[in-house]
Amino acid sequence: MKTNDFPQLASVAAIQEGFESIGYICSDSIATAVYLASHLRKPVLVEGPPGVGKTELAKTCAQLLEVPLVRLQCYEGLDESKALYEWKYSKQLLYTQVLKEKLGDLLQGAHDLAESVERLHQFGDIFYSEEFLEPRPLLSAMQQEQGAVLLIDEVDKSDYEFEALLLEILSDYQVSIPEIGTVKARSAPMVFLTSNNTRDISDALKRRCLHLYIPFPSVALEERIVRSRVPDIDAELRHQLVAFVHSLRGLDLKKLPAISETIDWARSLLLLHAGKLDEALVRDTLNVLLKFEDDMESASAELPTLLREARGD
Amino acid sequence: MPDSLVSFIRILRSHNLPISPAETLDAVRIAALLGYEDKQRLRDGLGMALAKGDAERTQFDICFDRFFNPHKEAPALNTELVAASTAQAMPTQGRGAGGGSRSPVLQQAAAEDPATAALLETPLLEALLGGDHNALAVAISEASQRAGLPEIRLFTQKGLYRRRILAALGEEQLRAGIARLENRGSPAQEELKQYRDLLRAQVGDFIDQQYLLHAEGKNKRLIEDMLMQTRLSNIESGYMDRMEEMVRRMAKKLAARYAPRKRSAQRGQLDVRRTLNRGIAHDGLMFELRWRRIRRERPQVFALCDVSGSVASYSRFLLLFLYSLQDVLPRVRSFAFSNRLGEISDLFATHPPEKAIEIAQHSFGGATDYGNSLQDFVNLAFDDVRSGSTIIILGDARNNYGAARLDLLQKLYRRANRVIWLNPESKINWKTGDSEMIRYRSACHFTAECNNLKQLERLIEQLLKSVR
Repeated sequence: MKTNDFPQLASVAAIQEGFESIGYICSDSIATAVYLASHLRKPVLVEGPPGVGKTELAKTCAQLLEVPLVRLQCYEGLDESKALYEWKYSKQLLYTQVLKEKLGDLLQGAHDLAESVERLHQFGDIFYSEEFLEPRPLLSAMQQEQGAVLLIDEVDKSDYEFEALLLEILSDYQVSIPEIGTVKARSAPMVFLTSNNTRDISDALKRRCLHLYIPFPSVALEERIVRSRVPDIDAELRHQLVAFVHSLRGLDLKKLPAISETIDWARSLLLLHAGKLDEALVRDTLNVLLKFEDDMESASAELPTLLREARGD
Repeated sequence: MPDSLVSFIRILRSHNLPISPAETLDAVRIAALLGYEDKQRLRDGLGMALAKGDAERTQFDICFDRFFNPHKEAPALNTELVAASTAQAMPTQGRGAGGGSRSPVLQQAAAEDPATAALLETPLLEALLGGDHNALAVAISEASQRAGLPEIRLFTQKGLYRRRILAALGEEQLRAGIARLENRGSPAQEELKQYRDLLRAQVGDFIDQQYLLHAEGKNKRLIEDMLMQTRLSNIESGYMDRMEEMVRRMAKKLAARYAPRKRSAQRGQLDVRRTLNRGIAHDGLMFELRWRRIRRERPQVFALCDVSGSVASYSRFLLLFLYSLQDVLPRVRSFAFSNRLGEISDLFATHPPEKAIEIAQHSFGGATDYGNSLQDFVNLAFDDVRSGSTIIILGDARNNYGAARLDLLQKLYRRANRVIWLNPESKINWKTGDSEMIRYRSACHFTAECNNLKQLERLIEQLLKSVR
């Protein structure tokens, strides 16, 4: 197995800068996680509320390293034939047919059974060989020459059996295929697993990973994110809207507004040519931030207080 | 530095963070990669590898701050004192020869008495007088190592360690110096006393923090061991939170050990690969079909819990245990009874376990009538009891001399895979008074006394083995 050393990942600061140059503003701890992951060759288990950029992190990483991103979306019932590899059955069937026809030619002149068997042995076992292997995401991530970023999304949605399957891949970057043997990764992929905590992940899997918890960003960080995504927005308004979203997250809501919603809202406000936040404007555009009727109601009641806080009066 | 990293990990373990040797190696590599300069970054990095989850992360952060910044919380060295003395010293002669700065009073005392002068030259006094925070911190932590502070176990040992550390620091000389000055009536004694008190306060703070770091985890374990073996009904309500946390942790451990596995069953989807594989032997003809395995239905557990006064606290733990095991035992149906019986599974679906148990206790509590309750159960759920079912009954079998209705239990016994009776009373008492335990026992696959958490854990583990 080859090990890749990417100059982009030489230090925590370099990672932060690199990410920033492609529009992903990240906290120090995220950059530290990526740095450690690449130097320790360990997968990163990313947790956090939905919409804080867990999946985005893997995508950005692939973009920064200029390697392909292989994504595996987990769901209940996902098994090895969908995640790891499958045999090309039709091709195998075809092969047996061809083999049957050729068998006569091949064995011509053989005097007895022992000699025939000897001749057959010379051909090796092509039936179960990589020729007939259909790689699924996990295997294909390991077959990339230049390395890859492997994203195993929402691993908490998969079954226990699938978790067990991941163990070998995540600790040694290799896969055991019973018919062939062990297939090692050509170069170790960088692995990100994301989880929304719908169930507890087994200790064995946890032990193999670095744990990165991405919380909602601080006001300053989120302002920087908005600035990089919606550069045209007025600085004053940007500050107000981020502060408003932050105080909104303090409420008891079904679904808290995530970063992507803040960005959407900033874009909508820009389109509406808003200069500053006022109550009517917020009330009209609240549906960009909140996705549930109940949430809208409870937020509406608090609107004047939240706005006052956000505007800093 | 790896030394201190290893002792840090030992401390984490004593605070119940399971850290394997492999993770220790990771931690060493991480520390080497990140360096010790940026504490925040080091904390992030080590936390990623060593803490697995929210609760562990919080604990980790607390330990990290106590271990790597032990003096952060301590008050700064008496700055006024130092500022005052430097202000006085500066104009006259600048910094003292030893790097420390002395007030004129001390200067004078030193000039008068060579012993005092020698005392002021010692590294300890220089650190104190110069307000050298780091030097003092290093001295205290070295002295505490020599005094064996990491071995501290009990709150009452603090005084002992304080004396030992002060002795190792050379406080005795300082005390002797003060006594000497006092005898001579020198004005410098007051100032020296202030420095002595400052030193004592620093050492005291340091010990407090180290106590939290080293002993808290061990003490917690001591208390937990004790709680494990105490009769559940004797545990004071103050410990309930901790007990519940322990139950949850035990359940988690068991759940990991008995995680559900796929089992073979009759037929499901066609397994193309294995069929094809078989076919090779038959000239590529697939006449021996192979089927994918499908999961067998998981067995069902019925838990019948006596919630009358005497047994209620035991039921509480059994239910808490069973519901913490939902990943492994997904189909627990629970029933509460005293004089009548009712299903409380829905309560658990809508409330957290603690609350649900409370409500059940409230609505079903009363004098126990086993006959009636068994009848209720048969009416309610007999059709659902199948050969794979396990019935757990938790109760003291004290029937207040009512009808035992053994026939009903026998009916269940013949039908279910297992009937388990857990009795919080000890076996000797099963034959006494109004207990029907001996009769009921004849219609159970397994009976056991179960009055503390340890026994409960062992029984639940057996249950998990048998239902697998």
